[in-house]
Amino acid sequence: MVSRCQVEVLYFAESAEITGIRSETISVPQEIKALQLWNEIETRHPGLADIRNQVIFAVRQEYAELGHQLLLLQSGDEIAIIPPISGG
Amino acid sequence: MAAREEVLTLQAEVAQREEELSSLKRRLAAALLAEQESERLVPVSPLPPKAALSRDEILRYSRQLVLPELGVQGQLRLATASVLVVGCGGLGCPLAQYLAAAGVGRLGLVDYDVVEVSNLARQVLHGEALAGQAKVFSAAATLRRLNSAVECVPYAQALTPATALDLVGRYDVVADCSDNVPTRYLVNDACVLTGRPLVSASALRFEGQLTVYHYGGGPCYRCVFPQPPPAETVTSCADGGVLGVVTGVLGCLQALEVLKIAAGLGPSYSGSLLLFDALGGHFRCIRLRRRRPDCAACGERPTVTDLQDYESFCGSSATDKCRSLQLLSPEERISVVDYKRLLDSGSPHVLLDVRPPVEVDLCRLPHSLHIPLKHLERRNAESLKLLGEAIREGKQGTQEGVSLPIYVICKLGNDSQKAVKILQSWTDLDSLTVRDVVGGLMAWAAKIDGTFPQY
Repeated sequence: MVSRCQVEVLYFAESAEITGIRSETISVPQEIKALQLWNEIETRHPGLADIRNQVIFAVRQEYAELGHQLLLLQSGDEIAIIPPISGG
Repeated sequence: MAAREEVLTLQAEVAQREEELSSLKRRLAAALLAEQESERLVPVSPLPPKAALSRDEILRYSRQLVLPELGVQGQLRLATASVLVVGCGGLGCPLAQYLAAAGVGRLGLVDYDVVEVSNLARQVLHGEALAGQAKVFSAAATLRRLNSAVECVPYAQALTPATALDLVGRYDVVADCSDNVPTRYLVNDACVLTGRPLVSASALRFEGQLTVYHYGGGPCYRCVFPQPPPAETVTSCADGGVLGVVTGVLGCLQALEVLKIAAGLGPSYSGSLLLFDALGGHFRCIRLRRRRPDCAACGERPTVTDLQDYESFCGSSATDKCRSLQLLSPEERISVVDYKRLLDSGSPHVLLDVRPPVEVDLCRLPHSLHIPLKHLERRNAESLKLLGEAIREGKQGTQEGVSLPIYVICKLGNDSQKAVKILQSWTDLDSLTVRDVVGGLMAWAAKIDGTFPQY
């Protein structure tokens, strides 16, 4: 039995436009690879596929490579999807 | 009829004032041009070192001089520092204002654009009277009034791969206050190639981002964003909107980072990204990745050894002006002039306005049906019902067997083309001809109805 936890996903800039929301709480396995976590989020919002290579993916306010490193998550952890903005 | 006389007197007075005003504007334009000519001749040489502050300087900067972190040494460093400000818009204006006020020795101001009325809500160095003038001259004039000791060097040109290395290399610190993706990559690469720290800020809608690139072994823009975003996922302030005070907050934070670097205090946001959410009132700090060893610009074996064509790299132009899409053939489009003729003839049709509701609230053609593009994309049931009703109603005015035309309109004529494509793909609309109005409502305002609002 894989234990799960509730994490808060924050959507910034274009990712908020694509998903139509600024944040949501989702249930994910406590042990999960960064790429799998992204894929779980992308499954909920397929439009995010367009920007997956151009975002900062941050776990607990720290950049996480979209790769195979294992994340140990706890309920309440903050995941952020941050596309660059270029206006000024 | 005293009231009538008063009206005439006032009208004459208004006409006289207007004549005075336009004469003043002509003189100002001439003065600005003369200033521009004289500035072309000014060479940019390195600022000489400064050994001491004058009595006037001590008084002027006294509130910051008594900060032990800054002190006389910090102020002397500021006075001999030069900062290149790329973009004199919503970020560049507040940034340059605070750098000039704080006594930075030289400010290079780069912008190819002219002041427009729609800039004034956030670009706080530009005044109403200077609409139509180059932003860099307007900014330089305001900065000189603020602090005559600061040398302002205006460059009324776009930063290009041909000019960027030379220009960036003449300054100590670079502030990226630009408004588009190609310029952001260009500024980054120029800073990496010339070894200059880059303080980068950006803003859109209610959000802002700030970070310092290529400082003390930290990452550069390409380390964090190796690939540019697809052009269609990038929103400009012209399209998405921005609140002036949000660019103001970010420009001020950016100025703070520049000042700390220039004064020798060191920046706070090298290797980390500050996110400002103005709607929620939150500041968040995200720790960024380290420098990427395989970074194309600052990595161990860089492939960016000279500046390149950033517009083709990013698939977009180095401006935040809207580009015209060409999705439809000429037969699928109608000009505003032809549409006006058709409207005047009373020919039955449906005019479909596909702009977002917030823009329809600003202005609309009274006979248009409003369904936002987003609703068409999602085949929103309520919207489909509305469109069906409008078509049935319109058909009552046409002869049997004659198809009812639908004309689609938006602000500039890009979204309207997307909407035509969507409507054409709906097989249940087979018997209809769908066209879009070239140039949209802004063309309508420019060519047909001068009283129609522009935005």
